[in-house]
Amino acid sequence: MTIDFKNLPKQELFGQGNVGCKGCGAAIAGRQAMKVLGERTIITIPASCMATLGGNNTKTTWKTPFYHTLFECAPAISSGVRAALEIQGIKDVNVVSWGGDAGSADIGFQSLTGAAERQEHIIHVLYDNEMYMNTGGQTGSQTPLYAITSNGALGKKVHKKNMLAIMEAHGIDYVASANIAYPEDLMNKFKKAASKKGFSYIHILAPCHRGWGIKPEETIEVARKAVECGMWELFEVDEGKRTRTYEPSFIPVADYLKAQGRFKNLTAEQTAELQKSVNKYYGKGE
Amino acid sequence: MNKVLITGSEAAALGAKLAKIEVLGYYPITPAFPAMERLSKYIEDGELNCKFIRVESDHSALASVLGGSLAGARSYTVTNSQGLLLMTEVVYHAAGLRQPIVMGVANRALSAPHSRFPEHGDAVSQGATGWIQLFSENNQDVLDNTIQAFRVAEELRTPVMVNYEGYLQSHTLEEVFVPDQGKVDAFLPLKRMPALDVTNPRGVNTVAGPDVYTDYKYIQNAAMEQALELIPKVAADYNREFGANSCGLIEGYMMDDAEHAIVAMGSIVGTARLLVDELRKQGKKIGLVKVKTWRPFPAQAVNQILKNVKYVTVLDKNIVFGVGGALATDIKANLYGQGSMVINGAILGLGGGKCGVKEIKEAVDHTESSENKNRSEWIGL
Repeated sequence: MTIDFKNLPKQELFGQGNVGCKGCGAAIAGRQAMKVLGERTIITIPASCMATLGGNNTKTTWKTPFYHTLFECAPAISSGVRAALEIQGIKDVNVVSWGGDAGSADIGFQSLTGAAERQEHIIHVLYDNEMYMNTGGQTGSQTPLYAITSNGALGKKVHKKNMLAIMEAHGIDYVASANIAYPEDLMNKFKKAASKKGFSYIHILAPCHRGWGIKPEETIEVARKAVECGMWELFEVDEGKRTRTYEPSFIPVADYLKAQGRFKNLTAEQTAELQKSVNKYYGKGE
Repeated sequence: MNKVLITGSEAAALGAKLAKIEVLGYYPITPAFPAMERLSKYIEDGELNCKFIRVESDHSALASVLGGSLAGARSYTVTNSQGLLLMTEVVYHAAGLRQPIVMGVANRALSAPHSRFPEHGDAVSQGATGWIQLFSENNQDVLDNTIQAFRVAEELRTPVMVNYEGYLQSHTLEEVFVPDQGKVDAFLPLKRMPALDVTNPRGVNTVAGPDVYTDYKYIQNAAMEQALELIPKVAADYNREFGANSCGLIEGYMMDDAEHAIVAMGSIVGTARLLVDELRKQGKKIGLVKVKTWRPFPAQAVNQILKNVKYVTVLDKNIVFGVGGALATDIKANLYGQGSMVINGAILGLGGGKCGVKEIKEAVDHTESSENKNRSEWIGL
């Protein structure tokens, strides 16, 4: 089950005229996903950049039904949407809740874990820019170790919460990580998720150049380095079967980290520590 | 129409079943949970074709029901007290989105201190949310109000709360006349208006700038004004169709020549009737005004019925701290400049506290004593 990457639909269901910053990773993720999800998709987005950049007053860039929900409850809303479609006998509709890291892992986590435990027939997307960018870039649970944020000038002192492992532990139909620099991999994962009858979770690394301290034109490049250095693994867990979907080239983690202003205070020891943990994870010794 | 002996919880569930709700979301809370369990059983027994969403919190309960409503399904939930407070954000949001959700509220006191007993503090806390709020004197009202609520909600695209008190109503058996399903179907025709529809894609809740936000709120409030006309019409239709005796906005009891009026909502109305009967036997010209519709506030109807009285005693099973009882505050505001009557508020029955005939009599006496004018009295301290 793979997409025909060279013959994607020309139609843009999300993206044209959105009011995101140039080089916005979230908008790129939305555009890529909608190429696969298609017109018969109902999308709910809790408070986030993504909720506001697609619709302002009477203008919207979405060409599918789109609902800007409250912060905590997009998966619960989507559960209700699915129930209403089922009772009306409306089939072949993708019901997608699309949250940022706060709306999924933090303030939105309760409704996400609830919907996942119930095996609701929905896809939840966490588009992850690793900080609370819609309010100016504060630290959250998805902010990585040592990253500087607008309310943490000394860098984060604790690890990023492993949402992929948490979601995998729910025993849901499909769990996948994705990255906007690997659109074919991302789109294949959306295609698979859309074929499931239960709950799917896709966690997309989508850099925010403002928060990460990179140039707008570097969004894709830095996103790619996250994968190639091994710090963002591309994988899926398809009905319990775990597969790495891309083998990275293992560039030094320093190449990824030094590219970003948010890691400008990283010491040589801290860099070495992060390199060591990547090596250990991939079984490359210390 | 047959007669059954049921609790208020069962009356709420039966009302929702007769309305053929399609999406039900709830998170269990005392004392609302028996209504929820009854609805789940109707679904499991195949008596109700409805999707039940077993959510993980009260916030998600109303959110799931809201999602159902936005996608075109007739949707319902039940809660009270802390559950209602947790979902308050969604309560406002659902009203702003103009979704015709109906919610039963088995009124219970709010923490702290912790209490599981009846009062109206939870409903009153939601008085500014944009929901229509109906109060029930007895279990018949719970059933009748629930069915009427769907009609009002769907015609106005405005959500409705049906209040009934925890334990006093939720767990107390009373005889209730049950309307025929076929007639309810005709009374509540299903006209779907999905906002989220793949055949007609629209953006919902996009950012509204200062140039339009006030207009949205004006239109929302205008629907509440319309409700003051619609609710009595729906009640009249209901009474005609089902041979019922359901009031619309308010109902007067012994008010024709009354010099003193008791005003109340909820279960205490039934108790106040007993006092009115007793005092009438003694020759006292006293009457009672039952407020069924608290939001929108039926100002005109209240002013009309109270225009010739000398004394008004308003019974409030709630306290707005630093102000007084919510109903008394509304009535004083609306009667301002309308006459020279004495209007005393009585705060009683909080957290299941005593609010029998004796306490209501005490409130009435307070109002007529010369040193108490236009005050809030705490009864039963």
